Amino acid sequence: MIQKYDIVVVGAGNAGMVAALECAKAGKKTLLIEQHNLPGGCATSFVRGRFEFEPALHELVDVGNTNTWGEIGDLMRSYHVDVDWRQVPECFRAVGTFSDGSPLDATMPVGTDDFIDAMEEAVPGCRESVTKCFDLMAEVANGTRMLGKLKPQELMQQFPNFAAVAAAPTEDVWNALGVPQNAQDLMGAYWGYLGVSLDKLAFSHYSNMLYHLIKKRSYIPAHTSHEISCAMIERFREMGGEVWFNCRAEEFLFNGDRLCGVKTTAGVIPCDYVLANINPDIIYGKMMPKELVPEREKKLSAARDRKYSARCFTVYFGLNKSAEELGIKEYCIDVNNTSDSRTEYAKVFEPFEDKTKSVVFLCGNLASSEASPKGTAVGFFTTMHGPEEWSNVTPEEYMKLKNRYAKYYIEKTKELCGIDIGPYIEEVCVATPWTFARYIGTPEGAVYGYETRDWDAMSARMAMVDTDYPIKGLCPIGAAGPRGDGYSSAYVTGRMIAKLALKRLAEEGGAQ
Amino acid sequence: MAYKLIPELYQKLDPSLFANMISYREATIQAAPAKEVTADYPINQLAKAMHPDVITLVVADIIDHPGAASKTYVFNAEDGGPLPYFRAGQYISLKMQIGDSFLSRPYSLNSSPKEALAGKYEITIRTNPTGFAADYLLANVKVGDKFRSSSPQGFFYYEDLRDPYNIIGLAGGSGITPFLSMARAIAEGTEDFNLTIIFGSRTEEQILFKDEFDELAKCDKIKVIHVLSDEEKEGYEHGFISADLVKKYMDGDCSIFACGPEAFYKFLEKELPKLGLERKNVRYEAKPITKKVEEDQDFPDASKGQTYKVTVKQGPNEYVIDAVCNEPLLVAMERAGIKAPSRCRSGECGWCRSKVTGGFFFVPEVSDFRRWADKKHRYIHPCCTFPCSDMVIEVPFEYL
Repeated sequence: MIQKYDIVVVGAGNAGMVAALECAKAGKKTLLIEQHNLPGGCATSFVRGRFEFEPALHELVDVGNTNTWGEIGDLMRSYHVDVDWRQVPECFRAVGTFSDGSPLDATMPVGTDDFIDAMEEAVPGCRESVTKCFDLMAEVANGTRMLGKLKPQELMQQFPNFAAVAAAPTEDVWNALGVPQNAQDLMGAYWGYLGVSLDKLAFSHYSNMLYHLIKKRSYIPAHTSHEISCAMIERFREMGGEVWFNCRAEEFLFNGDRLCGVKTTAGVIPCDYVLANINPDIIYGKMMPKELVPEREKKLSAARDRKYSARCFTVYFGLNKSAEELGIKEYCIDVNNTSDSRTEYAKVFEPFEDKTKSVVFLCGNLASSEASPKGTAVGFFTTMHGPEEWSNVTPEEYMKLKNRYAKYYIEKTKELCGIDIGPYIEEVCVATPWTFARYIGTPEGAVYGYETRDWDAMSARMAMVDTDYPIKGLCPIGAAGPRGDGYSSAYVTGRMIAKLALKRLAEEGGAQ
Repeated sequence: MAYKLIPELYQKLDPSLFANMISYREATIQAAPAKEVTADYPINQLAKAMHPDVITLVVADIIDHPGAASKTYVFNAEDGGPLPYFRAGQYISLKMQIGDSFLSRPYSLNSSPKEALAGKYEITIRTNPTGFAADYLLANVKVGDKFRSSSPQGFFYYEDLRDPYNIIGLAGGSGITPFLSMARAIAEGTEDFNLTIIFGSRTEEQILFKDEFDELAKCDKIKVIHVLSDEEKEGYEHGFISADLVKKYMDGDCSIFACGPEAFYKFLEKELPKLGLERKNVRYEAKPITKKVEEDQDFPDASKGQTYKVTVKQGPNEYVIDAVCNEPLLVAMERAGIKAPSRCRSGECGWCRSKVTGGFFFVPEVSDFRRWADKKHRYIHPCCTFPCSDMVIEVPFEYL
């Protein structure tokens, strides 16, 4: 017989860990269960030979430092989670072709002035419009922080341009400001991180990410995401939380229309509230009685129409030469080919057929000297895939396909970035949507929740949190949540929804 | 600080997008049909079929190799369907109950990947009079018996992104099994590389799969050289698998894969460096955990010969068990009948990863594959961790 918990958090992904911390901090008897044998979901690591690999994190943009902590730095500090952050030296290097056909290869520095100077150098004549854009980005960043804290009228007064641009697509705002296309190509090189093209992506979303990246710089943990996840679990345990690994939730149990427990592979766990780090479609489709799924949630699911954002195809490599010996000079190289995010995003969903998709090449050693042993280098490249090419594959074809893609990208890295890793691979591992489906169980192995489309953008989701969580005693959290995808967003969503659940628990009481 | 209105934004953009975002979102939701949510995705189903939590295997046939004191067990899936596909060279972790103990043993598959799709796995077990499981299985397992097993695991396989086209496989005794799988995979066309197997046995009579290897060697990508340590015979190499012997069969750019017992690895670790290969070109299958941990120079003197009390927490359950200092914590848990997770039993895979909340322990350096943060926060892999005091540990559940 398992004792009753106030709150069970299902899934120790980024949102789950933060939700668990928030509940424990509020003094609730909290149990965190995780289907895998270690925490983190994507925020983990794996060991092959003498290498420990970062599986997912490229960089965190809103950590900040002792001078000014950013939102994520503050969040970590609020739970006393201690991570050895290392600063990424530059914003990114963008490689490909400008929209006008001329070659693009620019390394963009951190710091607003330096970034604008580099923009002017790469695209002469863009300074004025880009400077205007940076002023706007500062306003949007500050305005976003006041969302929900100021009345709409006050918000409009203090941040007069915020309302005009908050929900507008990124490229419309750049066009309105007269930012030349080549400059848009360069500033937009980072679009892949939000998993949707710039004609669909709300300006406030992209602007906030880029602004923090440039202004506050970005950070990675010295020893992979597993360092962050372990530190969070440690703090959760210190606050009295319990964690059970290799324990999978199978079904949510209800008393009437109120949740009263969760059936797991380790038995039934009675509880007052569940925060489920699971995509809502999986909860409604598989894990609770169909008749208890609210009408509006069915409609919301139908409106989203299984449009999950990108699935990743990732090749991890441990090399037996140092980054310096291999001529790797930047931490992050965005290889965007055409620079047109619409074309590139469309390619995500097309079958491979040796078409070059946008790819990001990362080398951890450029940001953390402890990323791998001396004289070696570690890194990975990531590209986005649609569901089709991985949905109708036999196991035999699967094994061949993943290596065929990997080889193609290794060749492209050599051709476009001048980095030849092929002869130096000591350890290598290829992750496909199957791999992500296996370890994190998301729909189609997607890593980014739902595509953030115009009607379903971050700001609209945030404004409707109270309406979007109608089930008594059960709230989904995670990348499908209001803040959208990415580590930072999942952390913030985890905290936001945990607070919502704690408030409701106080108001409504627990299970009968 | 006040922000100045940028007029062109209001001229060219539609501010009502923001003002109306809630009503627009709600209208879009309400316009959608309230249909039942389904959550079956081909990608997830395919991933699950390749990596199920647990497989139930039924013994379909037993093949005796009396000369080598070994038996080959042929398994089928309980439901008669296909078994998870794998890379030739991988192993399964077979779960078993012997008396009150629940334990696992990793066995390399010697069947081919294609055979898995036809519902067949094969493993070979050699007698091991000082061990716990092998002789029990050899004496007791019969056709029709059922076993729970992990899906295929491990990293000991040919990887064309990394390895040169020529592989030299060094096998000692029953360490031949992953190479049999690789050779079968090459012969059936699943794998594509040149495999030269240098196989050490004591005598000709003890050679495992001699006839099958003779047959497989007709494929021009496969070559098998038998090395006999205890007899000299024409047509066979004699002695141990030394650097000189290996060099004789090395042809151009090649990698060495080695699999065998502890003594075999100890010998190779002295020999192979003489070949001057890069680290990436020499790969060992998971090395067994030392049976003589007290001889390790870093093992604390005060713990030698000691037996400790270990409190094991697993979810809501708590057990207090005896653990001797020269046996891994996993073995102590298995003796006590605790269903602890385990797979590779060599420190590598980390499936048994557990948290230490009290006490001291020792991990032999050669078996320590822990993540950086796991070391910092006192997580261990119990399969390669020895107690040096009374301890409190928290272990995950195992899917069974």
